[in-house]
Amino acid sequence: GSASSRPARSRCRRWGWTAARPTCSRSPCPRTWRAWRSASTSARAPAPRRTSRRLGRRPATGPRPGTPRTRRNPQTLQLISKKKSLAGAAQILLKGAERLSKSVAENQENKRQRDFNSELLRLRQHWKLRKVGDKILGDLSYRSAGSLFPHHGTFEVIKNTDIDLDKKIPEDYCPLDVQIPSDLEGSAYIKVSIQKQAPDIGDLGTVNLFKRPLPKSKPGAPHWQTKLEAAQNVLLCKEIFAQLSREAVQIKSQIPHIVVKNQIISQPFPGLQLSISLCHSSNDKKSQKAASEKQSPEDHLYVLEHNLHQLIREFHKQTLSSTMMPHPASAPFGHKRMRMAGPQAFDKNDISSLQPNEGLLEKIIKQAKHIFLRRRTARTIDSLASRIEDPQIQAHWSNINDVYESSVKVLITSQGYEQICKSIQLQLNIGVEQIRVVHRDGRVITLSHQEQELQDFLLSQMSQHQVHAVQQLAKVMGWHVLSFSNHVGLGPVESIGNASAITVASPGGDYAISVRNGPESGSKVMVQFPRCQCKDLPKSDVLQDSKWNHLRGPFREVQWNKMEGRNFVYKLELLMAALTPC
Amino acid sequence: MRLLNLFCCFLVFYDSVSQMPVAEGKSVQQTVEILTRKLELLGAEKQGTFCVDCETYHTAASTMGNQGQAGKLMYVMHNSEYPLSCFALFENGPCLIADANFDVLMVKLKGFFQNAKANKIESRGTRYQYCDFLVKVGTVTMGPSARGISVEVEYCPCVVANDCWNLLMEFMQSFMGSHTPGIPSMFGNKHDSIYSPGDTMAQYMELFNKIRKQQQVSVAGIR
Repeated sequence: GSASSRPARSRCRRWGWTAARPTCSRSPCPRTWRAWRSASTSARAPAPRRTSRRLGRRPATGPRPGTPRTRRNPQTLQLISKKKSLAGAAQILLKGAERLSKSVAENQENKRQRDFNSELLRLRQHWKLRKVGDKILGDLSYRSAGSLFPHHGTFEVIKNTDIDLDKKIPEDYCPLDVQIPSDLEGSAYIKVSIQKQAPDIGDLGTVNLFKRPLPKSKPGAPHWQTKLEAAQNVLLCKEIFAQLSREAVQIKSQIPHIVVKNQIISQPFPGLQLSISLCHSSNDKKSQKAASEKQSPEDHLYVLEHNLHQLIREFHKQTLSSTMMPHPASAPFGHKRMRMAGPQAFDKNDISSLQPNEGLLEKIIKQAKHIFLRRRTARTIDSLASRIEDPQIQAHWSNINDVYESSVKVLITSQGYEQICKSIQLQLNIGVEQIRVVHRDGRVITLSHQEQELQDFLLSQMSQHQVHAVQQLAKVMGWHVLSFSNHVGLGPVESIGNASAITVASPGGDYAISVRNGPESGSKVMVQFPRCQCKDLPKSDVLQDSKWNHLRGPFREVQWNKMEGRNFVYKLELLMAALTPC
Repeated sequence: MRLLNLFCCFLVFYDSVSQMPVAEGKSVQQTVEILTRKLELLGAEKQGTFCVDCETYHTAASTMGNQGQAGKLMYVMHNSEYPLSCFALFENGPCLIADANFDVLMVKLKGFFQNAKANKIESRGTRYQYCDFLVKVGTVTMGPSARGISVEVEYCPCVVANDCWNLLMEFMQSFMGSHTPGIPSMFGNKHDSIYSPGDTMAQYMELFNKIRKQQQVSVAGIR
């Protein structure tokens, strides 16, 4: 019970006892002992004035201060009162400390619990929210970034009240939840792939999806952030696909594009098919089971998917660029100069120069064509390099490329003679539909996208290289070049390119080597001996002087496959060495 | 069709619009075909179609202060060559080049300008390009009937009067023969000014007015 309900006597006794605790070394102190005795036995012992003031009651009875008993111990009273006041102060401080510690504990509890408003504040730092009536709605569309897609993209923030306060709060508990529109649930991506043309047109519209693992969210990110980001990605993919399909239908091209369900199919090159599809997988279990068959994602071109995202963002930025904004409220969205097209009577040429020429689909098709052409060129060069050992073909690809152009430097050399025979160096510029070849001697040749053209060209260059190599070798060895032709008009006609030929004579003039090399017919080497070394020459009366026997006579073919040496130039060097006696 | 007189209203500097008389015994369409065949033989390539139309507006009588004063006529024209523009002209007055929304504005100004719908006249035909020249041969129709032929010849590189009307004349002679028009009447002293699309429309307006007057005269003649 409270202090006031206790009988006065016991109260006095208590106070009296505490006041009479021995304060001096002598115990019991004669002074204090006497005070205690008087206090405990006398019913009329006065209650200390302090307590009576606190309780708001005056003591019932008792001698007034200043009575003979208390006058005897003024220090005691002082001590008692001091102690009481200190205790009171201590009590206040303790209560305050208790309150502080309680609030600190509460804060920590709050941090763990995360109440609704603080969570809402966190959400507001990332997403735009507005209050409509009693609902809190947010905007996850790209409209404020310049998109013109008509989807509303609003999500609703709801309080998560299904929590049982008695049970322990789970670790990932979040007091608020976001409700995204039902058509943006799950995850989506745009699959771009180049395949051989499908023989059966009935296969359209059944794109094999592969379940792409969701991009890992940051470890500290709350679940609503991942949910909203995924929904925003779905919206962007939908916008990209809508733009692509609109252009596929509207823009006239030579080979029309096919738009079926969630797939757009177009033909960049004959026999080839580019398919762009929107793969949207919702999170429910039914679709997960269906997509469990793992399709290999190897033909998906990640680069083009990334480029699609970049292009649509660029398109968004254009609507907010300085040429569009600011604009008068009455003017439609468009380029500033287009507003002047009417009053300044622009004709069709002027108008078309202002408008963007290419749409998203055209750009992505051009990029796909370029990627395909580049891959095929690389494959052609590599297959030639692995198939043919002599001469060797080297390709140095440039690091820095454009989306529509890449370049490669092709060198044709003979092993061991790289310093001598380096006359065939080709710079290939791979464009969207053509390959431009710049030769070292300045010729510029344009090849089409056909694989065979490039292969034939490289084979003809390789054959020419052999003959050029002979020319360079002759210089080194001291032999004289008698004739040299890149395109020989004699002999069997080659189906790829032309045959080249060279004739070189030894330093002493005794011997001559004639080489004819064609891409298809291979190499033919003939040696011309001096007449005196030929045994089967018919004797005649025309030549009367024996000095004419030192001239070069008939040609004899060399069995080149039996010749020693690992490549053509080496063999020829050995032949030259053999024919120049020291 | 009767033989119509030749009217010359051409802007030689940059562009010349003239009316081609219809050959005797032939219809408008046949004459157009003769012309286009001549052009194609010359080597011009066809580049689509063109259309120039003209609507007439009267200033409403209620707005006129003096009752005796005749209402002014305003012509609102469109040219497919300048697809986003609209031209508004008064007879001898200024020419306004405006945005395509001008038509909507005219609807709102119904109280002040009334559309004379029966007077709508247009010229439609094919557009040929021959190197630096653009030739447009069109049939002028008012309502359902064809009233004449208009030929527009444009020399693209030049914008100043005096410099090229001789060249233009020579070119026109090559396919129009004897029907080549003479010096333009509109630009008597403005030979050295820079040409503008408004001048083309002014020429068309004159041409259309002449054709309109012609028909009225001929109709009156029958009666």
